Amino acid sequence: MAAVCVAVISKQNFPLYLRSVNPQNEADLQFQYLVHASIDVVEEKVSTLGTPKAGQDPREHYLGLLYPSEQYKVYGYATNTRVKFILVVENTTSQSRDTEMKMLFKNLHVAYADMLCNPFYTPGQKITSRTFNNAVSSIFQMSKGFTSKE
Amino acid sequence: MSRQGRPQDTRKVSGELFSLTYGALVAQLVRDYEKDEEVNQQLDKMGYNIGVRLIEDFFARSQQGRCHDFAQAADVLTKVGFKMFLGVVPTVANWSAKGDEFSLILDQNPLVDFVELPETHQGLLYSNIICGVIRGALEMVQLEVKVWFVQDQLRGSDSTEIRVKFLKKLEDAVPAGED
Repeated sequence: MAAVCVAVISKQNFPLYLRSVNPQNEADLQFQYLVHASIDVVEEKVSTLGTPKAGQDPREHYLGLLYPSEQYKVYGYATNTRVKFILVVENTTSQSRDTEMKMLFKNLHVAYADMLCNPFYTPGQKITSRTFNNAVSSIFQMSKGFTSKE
Repeated sequence: MSRQGRPQDTRKVSGELFSLTYGALVAQLVRDYEKDEEVNQQLDKMGYNIGVRLIEDFFARSQQGRCHDFAQAADVLTKVGFKMFLGVVPTVANWSAKGDEFSLILDQNPLVDFVELPETHQGLLYSNIICGVIRGALEMVQLEVKVWFVQDQLRGSDSTEIRVKFLKKLEDAVPAGED
């Protein structure tokens, strides 16, 4: 499972960051559409987070698979401040593992937190940080490594 | 010369809090002033004002004696001063032939932990406050120096280099009976 697109969505549901593996690709618009469509599912899942069911970690940020499309699968993650991360991965036959997805999101979360600490970044701005970009690139790389597994 | 027997201050502030506070300060200055040069100047001025006070604290805590030459001063500055207040020990390097100029090489600068300079502020010397602190502190011990940044990690260099140049000894500033 190779991740093809990463998006960060603010609390008020406007996009802070969207990047796909091949930026010149025409599929870019499609990703925007996919991510936009996923917001509804995210909202729904987030609203149930407040009332954790038994056996569920209340600190769990990972929202799991939001929805599959023909080509892609969309995964979500929401922080306690309701900033959402969306990952679009290629829909292959191999089963992607939740633990792997969680790890990718965890890395993304850490990169986001570091980026937010930059005094020159105003929260709510579009993310243009170079270090964040690099972190996303390494997430793309890392997700490719998972493909070898079943 | 120093307040003897001051108990070791064990209160510590988190490094992240420190660098975030400094970041907020610089970001505010950048908003308030139009040119990067003006911000650099303000930082240097603030640093100077900190330095002239900080030197007292330094002596009170370190019980450091007088330095006999500039090389020794450089040594104390890095191994005791920087270690005490920033928790890092810069390397002293690149002495000039006359021995009146040296560089402080910082592999790690605690002030710039999360910082990324915006494209529009490439002229900003983010950690310029350090220059002011060194200048202010050394002036209080009768050393007039010029301090400036040679290279900065934030601008893509491998390490941060601060140049310190000895200008003159401030003989007049020595109060009578001090020698």
